[in-house]
Amino acid sequence: MKMNEYFLSDRLVHFLVYYFKLVFSKIDLRKEQVLRIPSLDFSRSSVISRFFCNSRLSPWVQTAGIHVGSHHCTVAPSITETEEPDSLYKNVAVLVKGHDKAVLDSYQYFATLAAQELGINIDKVYEPPKKIERLTLLKSVHIFKKHRVQYEMRTYYRRIELKHLTGCTADVYLEYIQRNLPEGVAMEVTKTLLEKLPEHIKEPVWNTISQEEEKQRQ
Amino acid sequence: MAASTMCTAWVSSITRKHCYDVFGIIRSPLFRGASYSTALSVPTNKDVMTRGNRSTMSRRPRREPAAPRTDKMTVDQDWSSVYPTAASFKPSTVPLPIRMGYPVKRGVPLEKKGNLELIKIPNFLHLTPAAIKKQCAALNVFCTKWPETLDSEAKCEQHFPIQVKMTDFVFAGPSVRNPKARVTTLTVKVSSLNLDDHGRKKLIKLAGERHNKETDMLTFTADRCPLRRQNYDYAMYLLTVLYHESSKHEPWEKEKTEADMEEYLWESSTSERNAVETLLRMKGSEDGSAPREELLSSRPMQEYRNSVTNLKNAGESESTLLQYKQSVKNLLNL
Repeated sequence: MKMNEYFLSDRLVHFLVYYFKLVFSKIDLRKEQVLRIPSLDFSRSSVISRFFCNSRLSPWVQTAGIHVGSHHCTVAPSITETEEPDSLYKNVAVLVKGHDKAVLDSYQYFATLAAQELGINIDKVYEPPKKIERLTLLKSVHIFKKHRVQYEMRTYYRRIELKHLTGCTADVYLEYIQRNLPEGVAMEVTKTLLEKLPEHIKEPVWNTISQEEEKQRQ
Repeated sequence: MAASTMCTAWVSSITRKHCYDVFGIIRSPLFRGASYSTALSVPTNKDVMTRGNRSTMSRRPRREPAAPRTDKMTVDQDWSSVYPTAASFKPSTVPLPIRMGYPVKRGVPLEKKGNLELIKIPNFLHLTPAAIKKQCAALNVFCTKWPETLDSEAKCEQHFPIQVKMTDFVFAGPSVRNPKARVTTLTVKVSSLNLDDHGRKKLIKLAGERHNKETDMLTFTADRCPLRRQNYDYAMYLLTVLYHESSKHEPWEKEKTEADMEEYLWESSTSERNAVETLLRMKGSEDGSAPREELLSSRPMQEYRNSVTNLKNAGESESTLLQYKQSVKNLLNL
């Protein structure tokens, strides 16, 4: 069966979907199914086409729970620009600490690739020497002083130094990095902000006050 | 008789054992049931059930475990939809022949099915290069570019003389807060401040240890307040106060003696006096002030002045000593 050509516009179709979903059970809308799930049967097309043709609120057909999900209705959040001036970071150093070197290797690859994709200058990536904390404890709960057991806790490090970042870029990159931090890995981020000399340091205050007084007198 | 029955029972048990998983061999339908006939018939599943007086009607037919998802995967599939977020390793979902574990003697590492080591270790299957590039492409919209005019360190210093260092910590623990996160360090180059010579010297004296002579950097580390913003404000306040104090001219500063001087000044020093007197004595007694000024402004005197200042300020080295020697020779016409 061919689909009827008396189609309403897209927006109106969406509105109708929304309206009917609010009030009634889920509707099987041929048009949307054609767009998204091509494998469905077309046997119902006659009913729907009649429905649209008449443009009356005639009784619809309740289908077996085909979810007309509104994935297509969600719009990507629009980007707003505020008046606040963007901050500048001279360098951002990310130090990751973990007990497993392989995990840190993978994380380094991920972080460096992400930095390259976002267009960030990578200054250096290196591995500070590991630190081992050793403990010697008594093996037994009671007595047996000569028999001990030794443990060690190894902490491996990786340092990624980036330079010349804006505040927005740094925030985006760091949030992305931190959300994908694997379990058992800790991070320290050292940021160096660049700032202008504040107004009150450019000249001693008494000079500016005397200038203002002169202006007031005039 | 008993022995034979025992024997056959043992044999039958062996055959049944071969039906199940031995050394990791997957059970194949061929091995189900008896492998060879014996005097004692091997009881099948059906017999067992009816012996236990359970009706076969209520018993559900045993389902075969479905084939793993890896069998249905194509080579050119979209991997980021298989592992969109961080998830544990699922052997039936990852189509890689991975083995992990310490092997037994003359053995191989364990296979991925039911391997706890593979589940424990954090995996990066959700962060393949393709997935990272996709996500970064989506994130690029929110990034801003570094201004092109600020390409060198010198320009950054010139336009943005103040540098503020802060540290953030991301870790798992009983508390989210880290006391080291409130430490703020403020660094300024003294030459970028609007100060005259007197102000500069006074600032260096007031700052004391916080001033680095070689790099001419003033560093304030503030951690006395509980919040980072407060520490930052305190550091800025310190800088402001220091600047204003060093711009002031206090009345008692006029009593500055030679011992308080930071660097050697030749103008009113004993060296100048001695040199002038020596030269005057050499030339014989003549009228006072005018030749004095002439002497002072003459070239050998100037050279001597430079060499002595250099020696005192820069320290003793081969070049400075040679310079001093030359200037003395010129002065005394040796």
